[in-house]
Amino acid sequence: MSYLVTDARLLRINLTSKTIKIEKIEKELFKKFLGGRGLGSKYLADEIDPKIDALSEANKLIFANGLLTGTIAPTGGRYMVVTKSPLTGTIASSNSGGYFGAEFRNTGFMMIIVEGKSPKPVYISINDDDIKINDAKEIWGLNTHKTTDWLVDAFGVKGAKVACIGPAGENLSRIASIMNDKNRAAGRSGVGAVMGSKNLKAIIVKGSNNVDVNQAEKFTQTVRKQNDMLKAHPVTGEGLPALGTKVLDNIINSSGLYPTRNFQSAIFDGVAEVCGEALVNKKYLKNNTACYACVIACGREVVLPSGRAGEGPEYESGWSLGAACGVNDLIAITEANFMCNELGLDTISAGSTIAAAMELYEKGFIPKEDLENMVEPRFGNSEAIVYYLKGMAYRETKLAAKMADGAYRLGKAYGHPELAMVVKKQELPAYDPRGVQGHGLEYATSNRGGCHVRGYMISPEILGVPEKLDPQALEGKAGWVKIFQDLTAVIDSAGLCLFSSFALGGDEYRDLINAVLDTEFTTAEILKTGDRIWNLERKFNLAAGIMPDQDTLPKRLLTEPLPDGPQKGCYSQLHKLLPEYYQLRGWDEKGYIKEETLRDLGLL
Amino acid sequence: MITIKFYSLLRLLVKVEQVELALDNVTISQVLAEVQKKVNTPFLHKLVQGGSLITGTVILINGRNIHHLHKLDSLVKRGDEISLFPPGGGG
Repeated sequence: MSYLVTDARLLRINLTSKTIKIEKIEKELFKKFLGGRGLGSKYLADEIDPKIDALSEANKLIFANGLLTGTIAPTGGRYMVVTKSPLTGTIASSNSGGYFGAEFRNTGFMMIIVEGKSPKPVYISINDDDIKINDAKEIWGLNTHKTTDWLVDAFGVKGAKVACIGPAGENLSRIASIMNDKNRAAGRSGVGAVMGSKNLKAIIVKGSNNVDVNQAEKFTQTVRKQNDMLKAHPVTGEGLPALGTKVLDNIINSSGLYPTRNFQSAIFDGVAEVCGEALVNKKYLKNNTACYACVIACGREVVLPSGRAGEGPEYESGWSLGAACGVNDLIAITEANFMCNELGLDTISAGSTIAAAMELYEKGFIPKEDLENMVEPRFGNSEAIVYYLKGMAYRETKLAAKMADGAYRLGKAYGHPELAMVVKKQELPAYDPRGVQGHGLEYATSNRGGCHVRGYMISPEILGVPEKLDPQALEGKAGWVKIFQDLTAVIDSAGLCLFSSFALGGDEYRDLINAVLDTEFTTAEILKTGDRIWNLERKFNLAAGIMPDQDTLPKRLLTEPLPDGPQKGCYSQLHKLLPEYYQLRGWDEKGYIKEETLRDLGLL
Repeated sequence: MITIKFYSLLRLLVKVEQVELALDNVTISQVLAEVQKKVNTPFLHKLVQGGSLITGTVILINGRNIHHLHKLDSLVKRGDEISLFPPGGGG
């Protein structure tokens, strides 16, 4: 069977009452919010009180496919997990690739809204319209790989795909991820803890319905042209397939932006040992892998000398478990990455939290007795990263139990929250914003807290794509950040991969969306859709009590100049950029959304 | 001496990590031409096309991107370190 994109339905499962409902989605909503991040956020904002405790039964967990997920659109395999974050208190939308999203779309459902809380561990199985809530006692406690294998075997239907949590999510770690296809992560903002709080271990899906689009012929032509563009572009056609995202280690380090030892430096002297080139030269990299409908194939299939195999590390994971912790042992970093995938921990937050623990311990703020005779968290100690990952997932010791809730809560528990390199309590990724002014504004204003994939300003400011901007210049940066954020919201809601945007632009995304929705949106109108989604998230956050004073960076990055490297002496000029950014967004000078802006965007 | 470091696909292509050249006060264009002779492997087409930098090419002189100096006319002096990256990206 096949169905039109806009005929996709919504599956609502209440784990308290064990009820399963199938609902229609109003067609107008696709035009206003597309799908994925946009549509999921619309439903969440309409259905929950933003002030609730994220780990309470009142929170909802939404798995939302993008508008184009499961179609032949380039990189169209991505889904979003939308919920209130237990890490940040903001709205969270955590994105993942692999094959789960496309399979889930083949069931005929656009979204699953999980409500309530099961009294005992369960998993959900979906085989087209055959939907069940099943006992999960056999798999509760298992890691994500064993869980996936058990479920596929028990389900007995070839090609079924699994999204699940590991021990970290079960133990309500606020930095727990949801893993699908074993190694792909809806990683950030603690979405795995919300799943754990509902006693939901996994969702397994199998569908047999193809997704049709309105203007099929035009759509197919557009897709063919855009796949050619992706293959011809040096970044998506050559750089990413060969070296993956770890092509960045040396670019960012040589530019003096590679956060080292908890952002105490921006140059890592161990980079040659751990960079993407080393992963190739040491022959650990065996192959590159692709997600659904992707011609880029940036995934890393890696085998260590011990024979241990897995995926990764990607740039962010390699950095957080490496330079952030001062660790230059590529085998330990890769092993730690494998562990994060299996335990269901977000690699960025996990590595950054260990880095914060290392600084807190070395400065004497963590008493030795809290270690309970376990490994000392010291910079450069590769044994510590491996030990504390497991420690966090299982909340093993007094210290690891605190670390399980992320760097901010760890720092606060020991009286030094300023040593947590976070924005809105979420750990920052692998670029020091003191040397990239636009990217710093992006971090500070991200609606889900510290994050690089809400408007990747590294692309113009450092990589020179689509054009090269001076990273220290301020003029025009607020406008660039807004456009990048709006375009990213569109890509996320369309169900496409952000990496496609190295080769494709607003016009290309417009063409795909118009063919599917049978609309005639201009590129400006498509960007306005992104602006609408951005403001919907902001409105939720303000109602949740996340105030504009949290649009900031850690004190270190605002007041301590970069100590070394080509950008020595620079620090973030955020205060000079925020007023213009607020104005461009249609917010008042204090950062609150003006009523006229909400009205113009159709959010009132 | 001027040190020229190869990264990413260039390193896989020319199969050396770095070379040194006894030059001083020359443009980056001249340096690149000399480097290509020295490594005896064509690689310039990965960085420059039609006399201009390919979008996404990153060439650093002591960590400074030549886009913000004088592009391919940027001057290189003895003791400088040059880093060459073909277009790359990630996140």
